[in-house]
Amino acid sequence: MKLYRRLAAALLSAALLVSLAGCAAGGSSPAPGSSSAAPVSEPASQSAPASEAGAFPVTLTDAAGRTVTLETQPATLVSGYYITTSMCIALGCEDRLVGIEAKADTRPIYALAAPELLELPSVGTAKEFDLEGCAALDPDLVILPLKLKDTADALDQLGIPALVVNPESLPELEQTLTLLGQATGCTDRAAELVAYNQQTEYFLTQTLAGADKPVVYLAGNSSYLSTAGPAMYQDTLIQLGGGVNAAAEITDTYWADISYEQLLAWDPDVIVIVPGADYTKEDLLADPQLADLTAVQEGKVFAMPSAFESWDSPVPSAMIGSLWMANVLHPDLYDFDVLAVDAFDFYEKFYGVEIDISLLAA
Amino acid sequence: MDGAKVARRLTVLALLFTGGAFAASLLVGRYPIDWAALADPASMDRRVFLTLRLPRACMGLAAGFGLGAAGSVYQTVLHNPLAAPDVIGVASGASVGAAAAILLGCGGALTALLAFGGGLLAVGAALAGAGLSRRRDILSIVLAGIAVNALAQAVLMLLKLAADPEKELAAIEFWTMGSLADMTPDKLAGALPWVAAGLAGLALLRRPVLLLGLPDDEARMLGVPVTGMRRAALALATLITGAVVSVTGLIAFVGLLAPHIAALLRRGGRAGLLLSGLTGAGLLLAADVLARSLAASEVPVSVVTSLLGAPFLFWLLCRKEAAHG
Repeated sequence: MKLYRRLAAALLSAALLVSLAGCAAGGSSPAPGSSSAAPVSEPASQSAPASEAGAFPVTLTDAAGRTVTLETQPATLVSGYYITTSMCIALGCEDRLVGIEAKADTRPIYALAAPELLELPSVGTAKEFDLEGCAALDPDLVILPLKLKDTADALDQLGIPALVVNPESLPELEQTLTLLGQATGCTDRAAELVAYNQQTEYFLTQTLAGADKPVVYLAGNSSYLSTAGPAMYQDTLIQLGGGVNAAAEITDTYWADISYEQLLAWDPDVIVIVPGADYTKEDLLADPQLADLTAVQEGKVFAMPSAFESWDSPVPSAMIGSLWMANVLHPDLYDFDVLAVDAFDFYEKFYGVEIDISLLAA
Repeated sequence: MDGAKVARRLTVLALLFTGGAFAASLLVGRYPIDWAALADPASMDRRVFLTLRLPRACMGLAAGFGLGAAGSVYQTVLHNPLAAPDVIGVASGASVGAAAAILLGCGGALTALLAFGGGLLAVGAALAGAGLSRRRDILSIVLAGIAVNALAQAVLMLLKLAADPEKELAAIEFWTMGSLADMTPDKLAGALPWVAAGLAGLALLRRPVLLLGLPDDEARMLGVPVTGMRRAALALATLITGAVVSVTGLIAFVGLLAPHIAALLRRGGRAGLLLSGLTGAGLLLAADVLARSLAASEVPVSVVTSLLGAPFLFWLLCRKEAAHG
């Protein structure tokens, strides 16, 4: 009997470990409580080729299922997507970029960590990609978002290798980092970033385990009456920070507009404004329609720092966004001073820049 | 000067202008092509010229010519100076097809196919609707076209509502602005046979189609099977328009403006297929050259065709009034 009990305890703890590992590794489970052990195998299979690659020629399969062979390490890169440009900085290959997406001046991290990027020629937007302009830069590799798959095929015809990526969730972010690491020959750095992500996820689940989960309303870019439902990465951000999404019932796969009535009915404990918002915290607080909200009355309205990156999207520094959220929701469990050190260390290590920690304040 | 001589001289002029615009389309672009390197089969210059520059210029030529010629057919056979691909539903039908393909996440080739199918289906529905009506006149075709157009617009709005605003909705909106920027040899090869077949058909039916511009009973007296011929002409014009917009997206106003510009240049009378087509080709090629060189990034070609064509038409109109007054 005793043996049985011990065996059961051992099995139970093993299962617990596996599910924790699942959280740490693949845990962008869209709905709370659905973090099964299934995602465990996913990152394992991703990281396996990472350790043996870094050598060229290398053959990769991109997010569109296209096969891309690179004979030598690309010396010149074009990135047509802000997330992959950011990744190039984090992977330490931004000096090889010869062209980037349009509207680079709207990304504060470029000016901070790699101001030379602002001088690079633009290859256009996802709507009108400049094929000839891109060919004129004579890149060894072009990195594009999934919506530019047709453009990637056209580049293939020109004999320019193009890689298509689709970082929309945490596992996809890690896959993309690994893929870009292999394509640029920065596998070690990519593995470090992925490991940092997974460790931070694990740290957050451990630290915030058992804490009360406040209901968080995430106020979107265009208006504070737009928000993100469970189908979006922003939901993962709230969960990792130890909160519950007020908009859990929303089924839209993009920012959804809601009414004042809806927001009053949800009456969230905390309101968080995303980094790229077109309005200020003061605008929201000054809205008489929202004056009765618990979050407004208790002063629990916070604006995510806009000086760095869109931490509410799967950018390489997405984990710093989650840590920031954890500090805002659970300052007793994760202190601001610790956040400041963690964020400072991250940007120093991966972006080579010393950030002004006073800008982290909500 | 008699009419035929004027027409011939104008055709030569239009040919020269279109030829110049075609040459400019080959010469102007973001990639600095080293013309000496063109002979080297391994050079990037050659690949850029053959896979980007040449297909784009050829598509500009074919699309402009096709839209202009089709536009003149619509205006002639429907006895309506405002008739354009939109009137009988081909444009909105094609938009619905493209929007559905974008929502389903289809690639470029399938999007083109669905847009083509949508355009043909819409016109088929309009012609069938008109056929069911007891009135055998042009008005019933135009009315049926307006009804199909309204239906297609409603479906398009529903599709837009269902679309993800960031990606799909933007892609649908952008499709309706038209562009030659991502033209490749495959797309050109997909559209060209249909455009050529449609134009060949219209060229063969040139005389009876011209007679359809007369009142129906007069045309009938001259031996034209009015109803059948009208349907055939509309089907051919739609084939051309559908094939063009399926790979370029909607290109605004070329089909409407080109025949009028051609007619005004002629100072009276209707412009034939050739002159309308050449005007359309010249207009679109010139617009596309501007679209790729106006700004640091590409401008949708429809913006430029309208900005270029509308004031020109206005100027011609005023000039004509002044000449008569």
